[in-house]
This record gives sequence, structure tokens and C-alpha cells, in this order.
Amino acid sequence: MDPVIRLEQVRHVYNADSDAPVTALDGVDLAVRPGEYLVILGHNGSGKSTLAKHLNGLLTPTAGDVWVKEWNTRETARLREIRSTVGMVFQTPDNQIVATIVEEDVAFGPENLGVPHDEIVARVDWSLEQVEMSALRKRAPHMLSGGQKQRICIAGMLAMQPDVLVLDEATAMLDPLGRKEVLSIVQRLNREQGTTIVAITHFMEEAVDADRLIIMAEGRIVMQGTPRELFAQPERLRDLQLGVPQATRLAHALHERDSAFPQAILTADEFVQAYAAYVDNQPLSAPPPAVPQADAAAEGREPIIELVNVSHNYMHDTPLEVTAIEHVNLVVRPGETLGIIGHTGSGKSTIVQHFNALLSPHVGTVTVFGHDTERRDAPIREIRRQVGLVFQQPETQLFERYVGDDIAYGPRNLKLSREEIRERVRRAMTAVGLGFEEYKDRVTFALSGGQKRRVALAGVLALEPDVLVLDEPTSGLDPAGRRRLLALIDALRDQGITLVVISHNMEELAEICDRLYVIAGGTTILDGTVEEIFSRQAQLNELGLDVPGVTRVLALLAERGLLTPDQAAAYTVDAAAELLGSAIDAKL
Amino acid sequence: MQNFDLMRNVTIGQYIPTGSPIHRLDPRTKILAATFLILGISFNASIVANTLFLLLVLVITYLSRVPVRYMLRGFILGLPVLVLIFVMQLFFQGWTEPAGKVYFQWGILRATRYSFQLMAISLFRVISFIFLTSLITMTATTTELTHGVESILKPLRRIGLPSHELALILMISLRFVPTLAEEMERIMKAQASRGADISRQGFWRPDKAARMILPLIVPLFMSAFRRAEDLVLAMEARCYVGGEGRTKYVELHARPVDYVVVIVSFLFMLLLIFYPWPSVRAIMAALGLPDVL
Repeated sequence: MDPVIRLEQVRHVYNADSDAPVTALDGVDLAVRPGEYLVILGHNGSGKSTLAKHLNGLLTPTAGDVWVKEWNTRETARLREIRSTVGMVFQTPDNQIVATIVEEDVAFGPENLGVPHDEIVARVDWSLEQVEMSALRKRAPHMLSGGQKQRICIAGMLAMQPDVLVLDEATAMLDPLGRKEVLSIVQRLNREQGTTIVAITHFMEEAVDADRLIIMAEGRIVMQGTPRELFAQPERLRDLQLGVPQATRLAHALHERDSAFPQAILTADEFVQAYAAYVDNQPLSAPPPAVPQADAAAEGREPIIELVNVSHNYMHDTPLEVTAIEHVNLVVRPGETLGIIGHTGSGKSTIVQHFNALLSPHVGTVTVFGHDTERRDAPIREIRRQVGLVFQQPETQLFERYVGDDIAYGPRNLKLSREEIRERVRRAMTAVGLGFEEYKDRVTFALSGGQKRRVALAGVLALEPDVLVLDEPTSGLDPAGRRRLLALIDALRDQGITLVVISHNMEELAEICDRLYVIAGGTTILDGTVEEIFSRQAQLNELGLDVPGVTRVLALLAERGLLTPDQAAAYTVDAAAELLGSAIDAKL
Repeated sequence: MQNFDLMRNVTIGQYIPTGSPIHRLDPRTKILAATFLILGISFNASIVANTLFLLLVLVITYLSRVPVRYMLRGFILGLPVLVLIFVMQLFFQGWTEPAGKVYFQWGILRATRYSFQLMAISLFRVISFIFLTSLITMTATTTELTHGVESILKPLRRIGLPSHELALILMISLRFVPTLAEEMERIMKAQASRGADISRQGFWRPDKAARMILPLIVPLFMSAFRRAEDLVLAMEARCYVGGEGRTKYVELHARPVDYVVVIVSFLFMLLLIFYPWPSVRAIMAALGLPDVL
């Protein structure tokens, strides 16, 4: 069958006329076949988003050609046909929605194409049906969740009846639930409507179900094939800085111990089958892993932050009042690393904003370092210094031209001496791995996304807080950026800072936290050590939350009788590999 | 304690769905009727007419079933302006002749029947304006209003007014108001967490105010520009090339009651402008009441 999109030797150079041209694409050949599910993977700066924007003529190549059906994307007269053939959904759902009502936004595309009124109505109905959003068609977009907004964007594209749907990192900003919603809809469109899908992502998990996988680096296609073919090459994937699903990583770890263990594993189910075959269905005879005891010393210490029966409403005292959190009880003890799990909208960000008195409780009390934050004489500024709060995507709050100045903003507000400010900036920059001399005079806005995030983090660390609260510290970063940031958090913990980390990434929390709170519907549902929380898989699933990938694998093994339940207690890849490794040792 | 809940005190632009008869009117009707009424009262200097007009506005508010307490919140925002108007009138209108009875005099300040009447009229007028404009946005969704504006301006397209583009600009601005308000709230909180003293203190010191506002404004503008760039791409990807050859998904349909409301409010405007409204004293005299004013 003829390809629906064809790229021939496409090169793209940004700022070609300046003295600093950047080659984003360097000779890409690609044919997208009708009906296929193609995933393009690559780390930030690999050229994958530039590639995406060539597929519907948003960018035209510096050299080479892009053909959509029989049209060259250089023919501006054909752009209408090209763009209604290749629909595109972008990263940030908020920035793609034009209208103030869901159904009208979906109608925007067909309106532009001049489709007659009755036909638009039919298309809007159909498209909303496809993304399961018919019930919310009259809503205002800003009242929807990220996943719902992204589904609206997909519907807006479907209403133009495209043959191809390009998802340009469309899931990067979503929480796991939103990501699942969007992926299941895209997969169904591919299966049932025959829509060709081109998904651009840096999440390996999303590549598992693809027909074909393309990996990009430095503007070139460096690997392509079926997911299974590519996942069997762990060294190359690691070199390309791609994150691999935990089941696959576990298989790779066991393969290292014994090369007879297969490494082309994509899912938990496949792992279980491979493992069962490998051990001839013999249960593991090793003793269960020693469950690390919760830090008893921390347990006994006086809490430094304590929320008692706290409730908070937004739009308080208006007809639009909504309850954000209700009856929240929570303590933070000195020296511990606390994780807070919950979906977007569960109230977890609202809770932590009570920690440094940004919000005050409408019911209940918040005590921070012995001060009731509601009292008039509470030293609010001192509390804000002691409890450093790093917001989601903190790089968006940078405002100074030079890195050093931005980091110095906090200490300057403390009215410290010049030398002291300089010293603090130096220490904060060192702590986040940015050399003081090298970076202090760099222009803030010219840094990469990951670097900006570290600058923002340093901006809070420069206040030298006793407690550091991080809201979704890794969201939007690629796997390499994530790993660097997690290592940094680990280092901070070793320095003795009390940490509170909000995340919906269970795998990250399992690696860094001592204790977890699970938030749902605006209240604390569960709390306990990592072991206590993640051993309640059923209860978490009920809340729409997951356990780490390896924990799921171990639970499946226990179900098949290959592990005893008390053995199935490992929450990181290393611990699980250690546990299953003893089976391999016994076999060898 | 500072309050970061920015959207809480903005009542203009918030739709309160109560399903009242006012809500069910065509948005064009609401815009036109409010325009006629506001025009009419602007050209009317009678205290009697202004009082009756305020009563009419209160009746409309009652019909809309929007809580009055909530309407007053928007009114409180306009209070400083009102106080300013009062003071100005006391200063500048005290010596305007004919002044009528003089109630008291203190230096150059003089309170007369005329200046009191002016103050009452401006108070009633400002309340009526705030109520009427808030009512439009509380009883019609921003989307309805956008379509209403586009439809009303459509005849002007012939003389070169880009009615569709204007409506789209309006729609996109409204679409991003909550998004940017949320963003602003987040930035304020983030900078407050870095020790910024975000308060109204020192707004008379422009240098201090600038130092306080820069950490808020710079990130907000950066984000707005980034969003604008994204939005352009997203609109291009959806084949937007301007208003030519576009069809419309939403079609407005006026009912007979809409025509009636528009015509009645037009007549009201004429009545307000051209009817020789009597003064309070004339009415009191006609009723045989003693002249106490």
C-alpha cells in the first residue's frame, strides 16, 4: 500500500541565516503506512518534535521533501488538504483549546473548513462520542482534567476527519490516569476506525503496543523495528538515554546474571511467563527479603509540621465554593522523606500549600515548627523560609535575566549581607550541580528545560530551608532528566533535609521515600511505610492508583504460586532483581 | 494573612446558572436591552427617574434569581470610585447655581440641594450600571455573549469592521482568563515561598512597587507568550485562515419575547431621554405635602 506520509532526506536547520545554526533534522527518510501505529521515541533535543511538525506542514524542510498523500508540504495552496489529512495534538492541552465551551472547540476545525452547519453538528456528535466526552459537551474547558482536555483536542482533530493522527508528546503533561485515558482512546481509534497513529513520546511504556518503533537521536533515525526487536537491545537503549518499563529492566537484570533468561520482555505478563518457564514452575525456595524497618528514631521525633482535621475550600464564601480538602490529618517528622500520592485534583497540592502558610485552613489547625499558622502573631515569613516549597514546573517562575540574580532573589528578600547572599547562592548552585562560576552569569532563559528546573530548585534552596517540599519534581522531564533530578533529591536527603515529595510516579516514590500518604477525594485515605502502602495493591487500584511495575510483576508471580506472599515484597527493580536472583543462583 | 484566591472577588464575567427567564433570553437581546437602558439613563438627570430606574434594575435582578449578596461583592470593588465621585461633587458642584437650598457651609465646601441630588443620582446610576453589566455576564455565558457580539456587529462587516476576528479575539481572551488567573496565583505563591512580601503596602512608592511586581509580571508574560505561540500552531493545524469561507456551528435563534424585550427597552430609552420628568418637590407639591427639602 502507498504510504500516507513520505519523508525523503529531510533536513531542518533552525536559525540557518545566523552564525549559530542548529541542525534539528539531518537526513530523515520515513514512510508512514496507512493504518499503522507508529511510535517515535527520543530524548529531549533528539529532533522528534521538529519531525512531527513536518508531518502536516507546520514546518517545511530546509532540504528534502515531505509528501502527504500526493501533496508536497511546500505547496501552500494544498495546506488545507494536508492539515485535514494529518491531524495533530500537542503537548499542553490548555494551549490548544480556542473556545470557551467544549463542543464549540470541537467544531472549530470543521468551521474553518467551511463544512455546512448540519454536517458540523453530526461530526461534533460523532467525535465527542469517539473520545467519550459527550456528557461534558457543554462544559467550560478550564473545569476539565488534563486527560479530558487532551481528549477534547483529539475530538477537535477527529471532527476534521483526518487519516492520520499525530500526537506530539500529547501525554507528557498528564497524570497516569489521564495518560491511560488518552492512550486507550487512541488505540481504539487505530483498531476500530483504522486511523493511522504517529505518537511521539519519551515514555517507553507507550511504545509497547506499537506496530513499529522508531528511535531518534541527534536528528537522525538510529533504530527502528518492532518494540520486541528494539527492547532486546538494553545497552543501546541505555546509551540513548531512554527509560525502559520496569518489567523489561527486571528481565535485563536477570539476563545479566544468566544469559539464558530472555531479555525481550515488554509487559508484566510476559515476564511472568518467561520466569515460569525459566524456573520450570518451581517456587522460589529462598527466604523472603528482609523488610527494611521504618526508621524508629524518626517515628519517635516530635513532628515539625502537623495538620489536624484540616479543611479548605476554594472560592470560599461564593456560590461557586468547592471543597478542596476535608478532614486531613498529617504529620511531617524531622529527617524523614515523605511521599504524597494522589491524582491531579485529589487535593495534594492544596495540602502542601498549608505547610508554609500560603493557604490557611477553614477548619482545623496547622502547626509548623510549633506555630499555629492561623494566629495573628505567627511568624509567616520565618515559616516560609523554614519550609521551602518548590511548585510544579518551577522553571516558569524564573524572572531574572541572569541565573545568579534569580537564585539570589530569596536571600535578598531575607535582607542578608552581600557576602552572605553570594555564599548562599554558591552553596545552592553547588547543591543542584550547577557550577557557581560557570553558571551564575548565564542567561536564564537560554538554559535547557532541565537546567532551568535546577535553577528554580536552587532558588528555594538558597533560603536554606529545614523542610523542602517538591510538587511533581520530575513532571515533563525526559528519562535522563528524571534520573539526574532523583539523584539530586537523594543527595539532599543525605544532607539531612526533611523532604516532602508529591508525585504520581510510584516507581520514583518507592525509590526515595520512607513513608507515604495516599490522598483521594481531598482527604488522607492511607498512610504508612512504602512497604505498608504498596502491599495494598487492590486498594490502590480501586482508587485508580498503581503500584510500581516490579511490585505488579511480583504480585503476579505470587498469584501463580511462584512466590509466597511475604516474598513478593520488593518495590524497586534492584530489590526485585536481588530477590529473584536467588532463584537463578539456586538453578545454576 | 494574604488571600491568593484571585478569582474569588471577580464577579464580572462569572456565569451563575439559575435557569431564570432572564437567562433564557437571546444573548443579543441582553446586550441590546442593557445598552438601550444604560444609554437612556445616561442622558437623564432627574432624581425621580433615576430612583425608578434603580427599582427597575432591582426587579430585573430579582427575576434573574442571582443572589443580591453576590452582586454586591462586585459593587464593593467599585466603591472607591464612588467615594471619589462624591468628594469631587462636594468640592466642585457646591457653588453651581441654581444651587437650591444650602444645607451647610464650611469654608469653600458647601452642601446644597443641587449637589446632594447629583450625589444621589450618581450613586443610583453607578449601582444600576454595575448591576446591569454584571447581570449580562451572570445570565449569559461568555460564549453566548461572544456569538451575540459577533452577530450584532455582522452588518458592520460591509464597512470593513472585522466582526468575526473581533469576536474570536474576545473569545480567546475570555478562554484564557481563568488559565492566566490560575497561573498568576501560582506565581504569586511561588514568589511568596521565596520570601516575597506580596501585599498592597507601598503602592505609593513606585520603585518598591516595581520591585514587587516584576517577579510576578515577567513570568506571567513569558507564559502568556509561550501559550500564544502554542495556540497559533494549534490553530494553524486546524486550518484557521481567518473569517473568510467559515461556517458557524452555533446559530442564535431569537424568540418573540426577545423582540418584545428589545422594543420595550428601546421605548424605555426614549422615555428616559425625552419625557419631562418632574422634580421631587413638584411631586410633593402636587400631593399637597409641605416643602421640607
